[in-house]
Amino acid sequence: MAQHDIDRVIIGCNKGDEGCFTQLVDIYGRRCFGYFYRLTGNRDLSDELLSELFVKLVEKISTYRGGSFDGWIFTMASNIFHDHLRFKQRQTRLLDEHSKRIMSQSAGTISGKDDDADKLQMALRELDSDVQELVMMRFYSQMSFKEIAESRREPIGTILSKVHRGLKKLRELMG
Amino acid sequence: MDEAAARQMAEDIEKGEKILGANQSPQPDERVLAEVKKSVVAALRQRRTVVFQKRILGAAVAAAVIVASVLVIMRYGNTPAGNQQTRLIASSVWEGADDADVTVLKAEIENIQSELSEAQSDDAGGNGSAAVDDLETELIEVNGDIWKG
Repeated sequence: MAQHDIDRVIIGCNKGDEGCFTQLVDIYGRRCFGYFYRLTGNRDLSDELLSELFVKLVEKISTYRGGSFDGWIFTMASNIFHDHLRFKQRQTRLLDEHSKRIMSQSAGTISGKDDDADKLQMALRELDSDVQELVMMRFYSQMSFKEIAESRREPIGTILSKVHRGLKKLRELMG
Repeated sequence: MDEAAARQMAEDIEKGEKILGANQSPQPDERVLAEVKKSVVAALRQRRTVVFQKRILGAAVAAAVIVASVLVIMRYGNTPAGNQQTRLIASSVWEGADDADVTVLKAEIENIQSELSEAQSDDAGGNGSAAVDDLETELIEVNGDIWKG
C-alpha cells in the first residue's frame, strides 16, 4: 500500500473512524502476527499479543507524529513483546522456577508449549534473544538499519553487526 | 571497515533475509483477525464513552464552580461596613483644617517632641521626670487642638 494511502488511513484513525482501524488490521495484522510468532513460537500467544497491539494502537494513535509508521507500529509491537517477557519472568519467579534457565532460553520457550516448530523456528532459538528480535524486527517491519538504530537508541554499527552475525549464523544452521 | 568487508556483510545479510523470506511464518486465522477487529472497535467505543464521560464530568465540575462562585458573590458581594478600611482621621477634619494653623501646630508638636527627647535622655537632671510629664501633657493638648481645628 502506498504511503499516502496509509497516511489517509491514519488520519481517519485519529478521527476515530472504525473503518480505518480495521483497515490498519488488514494492512499490518499478518506481518505483526509473523513477528510475534517468530519471537514466541506460539500461535495462541501470538494471537493474544496481536490483539493487545491493536487495542493499544487505539489508545496511542494520537501520539504518532509522522515518520515511518512501520517503524512506529513495530516499536510498539516490540514493547508489547518485552512487557510480555517481563510478565512471564515475574510469573515464573513467583512459581519459584529457575530464573537462570529462563534467561538462557529463547523467548519462544518462555511462552510455553510451542507449536510444531519449522526448521527456521528451531534455528532462531539458537540465536541470542536480542539478535533474534533484531533480525525479526528488520525482516517484518522492513525498517532501514538507521530507523532500527534510532528506535532502539543504539549505534547503527551495533545494529548492523548484530543482524549480520544473526543472519550468518542462521544460514549456517539452515544450511 | 573496508569496502570488501562491507560488501561481504551486505551479501550475508541479503542471503540471510532470503532464507527468512523462503520460510514464512504461519498466517493468522481469518477468525483471529476478525476478533482483533472486533476488539479494536470495542476499545474505540469504550474510549469514546470515557472521553464523553470525562467531558460531562468536566462540564459538571465547571458548572458547580460557577454556581458556587455566584452564591459566594451573592452572599458576600456587598462588602460589609466592618470590612471597609476605616479612616484614621475623619475627612471633615482634613477638609475643615486651615493649612496655616496645621503648619503652626505641626511645628509646635515637633518642638515639643524634641524637648521631650532631650528631657528623656537627660538622666543627670534631678527634675527630669517632672519635665517629661509636663511636656507630655503639653503634647497631648496640642495634638487635640489640631483635630478640633
